[in-house]
Amino acid sequence: MTEKKSTVLIYGTNLGGYRAAYALCKKGYKTIQLNRGSYVDEYQNQALTQLPFDFGWICGHMPQRLFKGLGCLTDHYNAELLEVSGKAGNFRVKFKKKDQVVNNFACIECGRCVEVCPVTVGDRKAMWVNPKVGWENIYLVDWENCTRCGKCEEVCPTGALKLDRPEETLEADVGAIILAPEFEGPDASDLSLFAYGRSPSVILNSETARRSLLTNFTEDSVRLPSGKLPESFAVVVTPHFNKPGVEYENYNLSVTAVDRAIRIRTTLPSSKVTVFLKDYRGFGKNHYRWYQRALELGVNVVRTDKLSVHPESGEKATVKYGSDGGAVGVELVILVTGQKSPSQMKRLSEVCGVKPDSRGFCHIRRHSSVETDVDGILAVGEFSGPKGNPETIWEGCASLTEAIKYLGKPEFTPPAPPPLTSRKGEEIKVGVFICSCFDTFRDKMDLELLRTRTQELYNVDHAEIVRGCCTPPTMKETAERIKASGVNRVVLAACTPLQKLLKYRNTMMMAGLNPLLAEFVRLREDVIYTHHERDKMLEKGLSVIRAGVARVRLGFEAPTPKDKFLSETLVIGGGLAGLSCATELAANGFKVTLVERRETLGGNLAYLEGDQREYVDSLIEKAQASSLITVFTKSTVENMTGYAGNFDVGIETPRGRVAVGAGVIMIATGAGEYETTGFLRGADPRVVTQAELPSRMEKSQGLKHVVMIQCVGSRNQEHRYCSRVCCNQALAHAVELRKKGSEVTVLYRDMTAYGEDNLYEKAVELGVQFVRFPDDDYPRVKAGDGRLQVTVNDAGREKTLNADLVALSTGIVPDMRTNEAISRVLGYPIDADGFFDSDANGYPYEEAIKRLTKPFELASNCIFPVGLAHSPRSFDETLLTCRDMVGRALVLLGKGAFMPPNSMYVAEVKEDFCVGCGLCVDVCPYSARVIDPIKRVAVVRPFLCDSCGSCVAICPNDASSLRDFTGKQSIAVLDATLA
Amino acid sequence: MAESFDPKILYVMCGWCGTGGAETASAYGMYYPENVRIFRVNCTGALSTVHMLRPLLEGADGLVISGCHPGDCHYDDGNFMARRKVALVKTILDSLGLDSDRLWFRYVAHGEARRFVDTAAEFTDHIKSKGPNPLATRSDT
Repeated sequence: MTEKKSTVLIYGTNLGGYRAAYALCKKGYKTIQLNRGSYVDEYQNQALTQLPFDFGWICGHMPQRLFKGLGCLTDHYNAELLEVSGKAGNFRVKFKKKDQVVNNFACIECGRCVEVCPVTVGDRKAMWVNPKVGWENIYLVDWENCTRCGKCEEVCPTGALKLDRPEETLEADVGAIILAPEFEGPDASDLSLFAYGRSPSVILNSETARRSLLTNFTEDSVRLPSGKLPESFAVVVTPHFNKPGVEYENYNLSVTAVDRAIRIRTTLPSSKVTVFLKDYRGFGKNHYRWYQRALELGVNVVRTDKLSVHPESGEKATVKYGSDGGAVGVELVILVTGQKSPSQMKRLSEVCGVKPDSRGFCHIRRHSSVETDVDGILAVGEFSGPKGNPETIWEGCASLTEAIKYLGKPEFTPPAPPPLTSRKGEEIKVGVFICSCFDTFRDKMDLELLRTRTQELYNVDHAEIVRGCCTPPTMKETAERIKASGVNRVVLAACTPLQKLLKYRNTMMMAGLNPLLAEFVRLREDVIYTHHERDKMLEKGLSVIRAGVARVRLGFEAPTPKDKFLSETLVIGGGLAGLSCATELAANGFKVTLVERRETLGGNLAYLEGDQREYVDSLIEKAQASSLITVFTKSTVENMTGYAGNFDVGIETPRGRVAVGAGVIMIATGAGEYETTGFLRGADPRVVTQAELPSRMEKSQGLKHVVMIQCVGSRNQEHRYCSRVCCNQALAHAVELRKKGSEVTVLYRDMTAYGEDNLYEKAVELGVQFVRFPDDDYPRVKAGDGRLQVTVNDAGREKTLNADLVALSTGIVPDMRTNEAISRVLGYPIDADGFFDSDANGYPYEEAIKRLTKPFELASNCIFPVGLAHSPRSFDETLLTCRDMVGRALVLLGKGAFMPPNSMYVAEVKEDFCVGCGLCVDVCPYSARVIDPIKRVAVVRPFLCDSCGSCVAICPNDASSLRDFTGKQSIAVLDATLA
Repeated sequence: MAESFDPKILYVMCGWCGTGGAETASAYGMYYPENVRIFRVNCTGALSTVHMLRPLLEGADGLVISGCHPGDCHYDDGNFMARRKVALVKTILDSLGLDSDRLWFRYVAHGEARRFVDTAAEFTDHIKSKGPNPLATRSDT
């Protein structure tokens, strides 16, 4: 057998692809990413188009910055996948690529190329920066107007710009391929029903978001072309009304529509906002609360089947809806659009054999989260179907879990840092090195004068101008100049460490200096690019440098702490989620302890349908056969001490207390079914739940009329969330009953039907009746003479239906007693609905996406809720959350020890000053602190500390300090800034 | 107030969103007044009341703080800790006889460059209309 390859090819740049790249790189797999476009954002991803926030939020979390610099990730632009041969574990891929005209990684954003460009096109040049791209400045060439005069190439100080880049064809051996093509939204012709493009009063929601790019949502985001501020708005979810098959929706859309309405109402309180949709299909975590908030704010929500938009003269449009001639005149219509099936599908199926599903998205294997029909080829994000933003990200992490079985050993380890020499005991000598950014700063400021004035500053021993400090040759040059100057404290006045921190630190280390003895100040951001009065710029430049000098004078060197990280995992709950996590982790060679409260494994077996039972049985078999999985049944988790990476857990088993260690804990406690005594449930055998319905369908053929009541125990005052699975389940049953000849009426509030099966449309076609009842007026069930009588409020009219059987779609409810107990033991929060909280912390969106993309697996303290413990979800969606969390855990497990995420910049405690008051323990957002029970002083857990400094602010004794931000340092810097 | 009054303003920002806003402004070449000096902390939660009072006692004419939007803090709730401290310091400033309106707190996200420069300019105008910090001219502070 040939050896498995360890490199992964990622085709496309959707968010799932980026997340996969991040996880793979972190695990140590080399990754090649192909971008079809000529810059990072040319083909957009779903999260940017169906925007959850109106401000830039993702660029800081992209994998390129870190891993490209380290050499783990290679990305190619203008790339196309040409050929795939071989099989899983050993693919040979051929692709073409053409480098960017301006190499984004080497460009210093000086703007000289734009200045010299002789061609003017409208209000820009032929060489220009697209202000709509949320990434760092990306210089683009307008090829239609470019005269190829080559002036830009001549002036480029770093040689990052080359107009003629050759197209190259490359080959690579990879173990797995991840397909992550980007989002495709509908175009104007797809939106003709909504007068898009035919009226100044009709815009897309993504356009308002783009207009909000630098400001967040403001009045200007919705201003009409004439400058007038509209007073009446309509927000339309277009896939609900568009022709079938044109665009597909996911739950982002309903939520985005409601969110847009909320923003308009809060920004323009006197405005009238109407949201038009068919059903409110926000079925994710916290989405229903978001909808309620919109109602509270006075947003008018209109549910209708039919809708069209008609332009009027001037900046006005009429929204016609329903079949009874409903019409509303508004000044601005905002269209919330869905997505089209990927145009890349056909080509990719030819190149690598993946198959489309019935809607033209990539087909994913049953009970797999990201695996396509071809072994070793995975698909993530919007390419494999319309889905919410969180699912896209989860798939990114899940692809690590699923790809790893095709891959060889991880090959990448970051290069070791250069050796440092200790400067302890030396007299402090401060050197200020002013970067001229390849002499481009000199265009805007007199650097020589700044240097002389810096040299005159008290406390500065040496000041000089360096050419640059962010390209390999200039980094070396600067390091040598630092060495030669003989200083032992360095202030580097250059540009933002947000992008270049690693390079700066490396420069310092190349000079043998601990980066803690250096400070990197932002001459470019704070002075050169944002100001223009030269005298005042000099003043401000000096204040920036003074502040840096004040900080380094008080700086001290210290080694980077490390702490061990256990490779075992504790999984609480032996249902589908727990079993899935345990078996996936064991398959990767990690020990797992599985704790199940009941006598047997398997969890909610009663609710499984079709081949789901077989799947769970196979998991149980695997878990019992694995020597790496220790199963404790009839056991509970009683106590937990320790911290992320080093948990000590006490488990109460029938044979007494057992202590286990774990690096990671997975909460897979599941949830139960809502139980009610309303609707004659329990009193009349003809009232059943959806779970019981299949057995009743088999038994009795004579069911003339079945009435289903939706949202029983969901989306009401008691349970303010959608249970997600009941609508699809009810529809499947309704279709089946209808095929057997029964009449079916579904009483519902919103049909949150989703997925490939199109059950809703099928049910309507087959003649299933739907009656919508108001949110606060549930139907009533009475036992009549012979048949059951169901009374429902149908748009204000009482309607009575005779039924032979009533099926209640009861929701999913968390087991509050168990969840609260586990929450107490683990110190992990539960949300307002009783499910385990994840990174969302009260933000109304399902897990604010920024947090989802946040690369710090440690941020949730290594406790990961999965499956129903997290929120209601279906069988396959449960598996997705498991694979996501296993992916996150795989990145952590097996490494043995970790450094803090910001390496040496970590919090410390001066034990002599600490009184053990515990204030710092309370404020630490990452639980990185604890009071040592014997010494009674605070102790820092190194790798959990992300250096926020809250502990420094709260400490009454100045015992707590952040290296680089001690109490003393901050005051000195503050004074120097103002001096 | 004299035309020539050039206020000394300290803009305190967190290292994530606040700084991001300032850097996006720089990437787009947006201008804000030169007399706005910047003081960075990793998280606004790391600001103590001292950091808010000291600049005003040491002669800055105004202080504006920017952190991440609610729900967006890199450290979960550092921005809320800052907000609480700002509310506290405002009461202290009032009791010192200093105008509590010399201290502002405004959320700025990474991409909100326009919002950042607008805040800087708006606050500068605001302080210009207020006049110099009375403590700045005293010899005993």
